[in-house]
Amino acid sequence: MNGLLRHKYATTAIIWVLLLTVPLWLPLLGGYTALAGRVLVFGLAAMSFNMLLGFTGVMSFGHAAYFGLGAYGCGLFLKYVTPSTPLAMIAGTLLGGIAGTLFGLLLVRRRGVYFAMVTIAFGQVCFYIAYKWDDFTGGYDGLRGFARAPIDFGAFKIDIANNSTAFYFFIVLVFGLAAAAQAFILRSPFGRTLLAIRENERRARFLGIPIEKHIWLSFSISCFFTALAGSLYALLNNFADPLGLNYIMSGNIVMITVMGGMRAFWGPLVGAVLFVMLQDYVSSMTTNWMFFVGLTFVCVVLFFPRGLMGMFQKGAKT
Amino acid sequence: MPRFKEASKQDRARFARVRLPNVYRELRGMVVNTGMLTIGRRSLLKAGAIVGGLQVASPFIIKARGETPVKIGFIDPITGSLSALAVTEVEAAKWTVAQMNKTGGILGRPVELLIEDSANDTGTGVQKAHKLIERDNVDVIIGDVNSGIAYAIMGVTAEKGILHIVPGGHTDPITGTDCKWNTYRTCNTSAMDTAAISGELLKRFGKKWFFVTPDYAYGKTLQANFIKKLTAAGGTFEGDMLPIATSDFSATLIKAKAFKPDVLLNNMGGSAQINCMKQFLQFGMSKDMALGGALFEIESVRSVPKEAQAGWWCMEWYWNNPSVPAVKTFVDAISPSIGKKPTARHWMAYVSVHAFKMAAEKAKSLKGIDMAHAMADMELPPEISLMPGKIRYRAGDHQLMSDIHIGQMHPPEGDPDNYFTISSTVTGEEAAGSVESTGCKMVFPT
Repeated sequence: MNGLLRHKYATTAIIWVLLLTVPLWLPLLGGYTALAGRVLVFGLAAMSFNMLLGFTGVMSFGHAAYFGLGAYGCGLFLKYVTPSTPLAMIAGTLLGGIAGTLFGLLLVRRRGVYFAMVTIAFGQVCFYIAYKWDDFTGGYDGLRGFARAPIDFGAFKIDIANNSTAFYFFIVLVFGLAAAAQAFILRSPFGRTLLAIRENERRARFLGIPIEKHIWLSFSISCFFTALAGSLYALLNNFADPLGLNYIMSGNIVMITVMGGMRAFWGPLVGAVLFVMLQDYVSSMTTNWMFFVGLTFVCVVLFFPRGLMGMFQKGAKT
Repeated sequence: MPRFKEASKQDRARFARVRLPNVYRELRGMVVNTGMLTIGRRSLLKAGAIVGGLQVASPFIIKARGETPVKIGFIDPITGSLSALAVTEVEAAKWTVAQMNKTGGILGRPVELLIEDSANDTGTGVQKAHKLIERDNVDVIIGDVNSGIAYAIMGVTAEKGILHIVPGGHTDPITGTDCKWNTYRTCNTSAMDTAAISGELLKRFGKKWFFVTPDYAYGKTLQANFIKKLTAAGGTFEGDMLPIATSDFSATLIKAKAFKPDVLLNNMGGSAQINCMKQFLQFGMSKDMALGGALFEIESVRSVPKEAQAGWWCMEWYWNNPSVPAVKTFVDAISPSIGKKPTARHWMAYVSVHAFKMAAEKAKSLKGIDMAHAMADMELPPEISLMPGKIRYRAGDHQLMSDIHIGQMHPPEGDPDNYFTISSTVTGEEAAGSVESTGCKMVFPT
């Protein structure tokens, strides 16, 4: 086992130990479990987004659309269809993922700033649908009147509705499965091809790789995972709101990813820790909290262009 | 290209020196050469990150606890388009709590006010409610100016069984169809405000109205209530629903001009209402139609040109009301610390904080359910209500049956803060109608 690999395993181990022991140490620091849940949800959204930005090299500025659709899909299912948490999460993930897959078809030929612009446009389309379709989505006030339901396994029940620690571990479980799936995809030949596209698209094309198909697939997969994060967000708040679909949320996802480090697998999670903590604590201290969040972002970009995780990566290239 | 090649070695070196990493190298060189420390750039940066992290982490250290204070969680949109109103509420809450602490606090314990910014965003508001309840263990949540956020926070407070007082979010369902056992409201419902002012507008101006309404909970119920009153009187109307933080009203105002209404009802709030008023004047429309509506709050009136300080409106509380002696005492006490005359928003926060104190002391408990029972039909004494009539939080829908002043807005007369003249006062009961008509079915947990 070489040093680089050991470094990688050590990072993963530290992250998991920290995540699994959150209910023990976070209250000591004055945090609360819902905050940790929020970190994981944003972390998952940003990691999913990073499959596209960090590992395919394509910039989407409209990922909030799929995040928000995931939240609405989950909420609407709980409200109008049946109060089953797992089914609602599947519904949310499918709604966001399929919307992303369809939009992706129209996007794949665009590159760079044009790709980003079109993704913003799609994001805003989704925002305005949620905003205007009052009777169904609750309009600007958001979707209320649903709550996460306990998960019934027949023999035993996990009460994620009232027990916040149980719900936190539920989020950790979903997050873990999603992260494992992402790592698996990125390590597969398909994931390696994405890296090739990121590094040199023209050369990859000359090698006979169907670039558009790969970017489309990468975009779709990323949207499915983002929508999964969105559905968790709806469960976390028992509420879905149209600003979750807005371009500002897309911007937050980009900020989280860049702050954490877009070349590192766990980078976006670290970014989410920083972002959510900053937002939560600084906004209690001063009304000018957005200034400090912005300032941190500028500092990170100026001084650690590879993000916080990038700083700890010794000579790692991916 | 050739020019680039010609650049001398010195030029290149000079150019390279300004690049950022070299600054680090030089700094490091300085440190190492002087023999102070042998420390790499990477370690330096890591140390910097850790120190930075500690800066963020420091506020969470739990302080030693003497006498446990009673905690009030106050959530308001201190940033965003409703910030002027929210800042006023926060100002009054701080003052009220400071006064309380001078006179023995609540249940003999000191009072601590924890203020959180909802940033006029529902998701953030919900998160802050979780934070205040789960981390800070507050005894009551007071908030929010934004009806939609207040409405969403209710979901959290009801789930956690915490007393919730909405000081200034007007949408009807909060104490109507979606009323909850733990939620009380101090400001009026939009139905109460429209019931109080509609007759006056119909009588003074006519039956052709144009609405400019924000597209969220408050605006929608407000406009629906106005339309109900107007169509019952046989009137006609037109209007636009616009996003809550709209800044450009030209399209809507052109439409209003073409419709030629008797009165334009500007239902927007905060900075959107101010922008709408300014553009209304720029379009020269003040000669063609009157202004009026439910709320034109003093915070907004202060920011519009003189010509727009006009029209007939509701005022939920006003500082210049000689008929109520307690008002003068309150105004004299609070004015020096806020540097101006208090507004209805000051009153809302003042009443809400005091209502919490009264409920806690009546129940002799800080449990949500006990206080919620104690507040039902709780009548406010005149030095707290600051109203001519006897007002109470009605048991049936948890709505404060506050008196509503009707009157005319005008540029300052006498006092620089005297923008309004009360012409009549409608009682809350009269404006609100019966509990059945609100659609509220109050259910307490057993």
